[in-house]
Amino acid sequence: MGMIQATQIVNEERPIAGKTVSVSVVQRLRPPTRFQVALLGMQGLLQGMWLTLTYFWSPVEVVTREYPENRDSLKITERFRGNLRFKFPNEVAHQTHSALLEQIAQETQTHPEVAENWIRDEDDTRWYHNCTGCSKCEEACPNASIRILTRHGEILDDREIDRFVWRLDSCMFCNACVLACPWDAIEMTGGFENAVFDRRLLVYSLNRLAAPRINLIQDEQDPAVRARMIDWRSRYGGPIPLGGTGLPNLPAIGAPKVQECPVSHAGSTAVAP
Amino acid sequence: MAATVARTWEPNTIAQRAAAAATENLWVTAAYLIGSMIGVVAVLSLLGMVLIYVERKVAARFQCRLGPTRVGPFGLLQTLADTLKLVFKEDFVPEMADKFLHMLAPFLALLVPVVLLALLPYSPSMQVADLNIGILFVTAIGGFGVMGILIAGWASNNKWSMIGAMRAGAQIISYELSATLALLVVVLFSGTMSLSGIVQSQQDGWWIWRGHAAGFCAFMLYLIASTAELNRTPFDIPEGESELTAGFHTEYSGLRFAFFFLAEFINMFTVSALTATLFLGGWMPFHIGDWAALNSQMDLIPPIIWFGAKTSAVIFIIMWFRWTFPRLRVDQLMHLEWKILLPIGFANLLLASIIVLINAYPFPLELPQ
Ligand code: SF4
Ligand code: SF4
Repeated sequence: MGMIQATQIVNEERPIAGKTVSVSVVQRLRPPTRFQVALLGMQGLLQGMWLTLTYFWSPVEVVTREYPENRDSLKITERFRGNLRFKFPNEVAHQTHSALLEQIAQETQTHPEVAENWIRDEDDTRWYHNCTGCSKCEEACPNASIRILTRHGEILDDREIDRFVWRLDSCMFCNACVLACPWDAIEMTGGFENAVFDRRLLVYSLNRLAAPRINLIQDEQDPAVRARMIDWRSRYGGPIPLGGTGLPNLPAIGAPKVQECPVSHAGSTAVAP
Repeated sequence: MAATVARTWEPNTIAQRAAAAATENLWVTAAYLIGSMIGVVAVLSLLGMVLIYVERKVAARFQCRLGPTRVGPFGLLQTLADTLKLVFKEDFVPEMADKFLHMLAPFLALLVPVVLLALLPYSPSMQVADLNIGILFVTAIGGFGVMGILIAGWASNNKWSMIGAMRAGAQIISYELSATLALLVVVLFSGTMSLSGIVQSQQDGWWIWRGHAAGFCAFMLYLIASTAELNRTPFDIPEGESELTAGFHTEYSGLRFAFFFLAEFINMFTVSALTATLFLGGWMPFHIGDWAALNSQMDLIPPIIWFGAKTSAVIFIIMWFRWTFPRLRVDQLMHLEWKILLPIGFANLLLASIIVLINAYPFPLELPQ
């Protein structure tokens, strides 16, 4: 109804300000009468009913996903925002690693991401990351779900990431951190199977190496120096026990059970090696 | 089975049988009464579960989904599981609510469809009671249904419940008019108010086509008005989730909520059954005048199946409405009733009376003198 059709446009000459100008005039439509409106409405209703009937008869596509059964063939869309994750640019070369993870996860009946703690890849290059520890993501997070702990790198004499602590339990998957990151170091993945029996497991670090940015490491030719640049960081453990940091009335995983007073995040500082 | 032999469609209701037995043996009467009570309870719960399951499946199909598939084969036991869950839930009554009315409302809401169930002629020999003022009774009781909702809204002491209940009251009372006008057309046609009398009057053809345009128009009017009385989408403003949380049953939980839910679905059944009875011939097989060959073929199918099939068809249409149409705003709803449906209803009644006056429908009715 609202569209202008070519047949409505009429070219004519009109005197405007003393001159004859050729103009295109769109003829006014007569507003539809009530009866026409009613007919149109009726037609719309019937069209809708016909559409739903065709769906009823033969659905174009059944949108229901029967999740646990179709776990292997589950399609997660590109834009799905699941778990936050570090980008590991060298990862492609390490497909065998994920196979290894799968194997361990199956043998030990654990989550593949938990199994990550149990292996220490001999080849650290897989875990080189883009993060500089600039804390932009921490500032961007509206839920304070990110805690960046940095350290002073001896070799390059500069700040570098020590731990990227992510609180899955308070994240709302808004993607703000990913957008805020100037170095394209983190991404949202399709992972959504996060059920655990202990909520402390939901606070963990994303990085595997306390190390400078990937190109800074790779610029260094001497393998011995390279090795001194990096320190291994597991998912939960490390110099600062991460599991459950800041959860009220819950001692962190691995921490001794003490009557602790609430510790604010701001209290912990960067750790120098 | 001598089904081809000309049947006598003489109704034989349970009330009649009980009354006949009363003179001889009181125990038989008691058995009839208790039997029909148990029957009503069984029918109620079974009907509720089946309808809820069907609704979910049908809704799913309309929206390209699967619906319940997990519990039992094809999710058949899903409703049972839900019912059990509701039974075991806490029955919560708000602190400041009017406790007695809050308790009473769900029963009132459920009472209406239960009473109506007793009036419906399911087949010539299956009807609890055949009142000679059947239609009048149906409208009176149907209008009473709003009491449960109003009381629920009032007693909950919650503004959303109150608004929802008020809306429901306005809506049901308004649409009651159109529904009654449509019913009157059928009463005019068949010359009787008894429900089984109306079914028998359709022996030569159903009113939906035999009454010319008036019959069809009355059918549409009744369908629309009764959908509105059911508070179902597109007329579900009393429980608009987006603006009223859940409307009049916001404060209900557990079994009492289940009662409202059940009442809604049983209401849907009774309304569909009434539509089928009044316009589609109820248990009467598809007959065309004196075409004996066709009629006797149609008579092979037992009446109860005819009744079931017609009722299911109407139920399907109501569900179809629900999952297709957008909702109406409150003022649009009132506009539709008072400015559109009601004039059409009156005009239709006039048309129908002219048709009846000149006896213009095909296979004219021989009214009992
Ligand atoms: S997705 Fe949003 S809430 Fe989650 S960590 Fe990133 S910024 Fe914070
Ligand atoms: S992830 Fe990006 S924004 Fe966050 S600290 Fe690392 S480099 Fe900065």
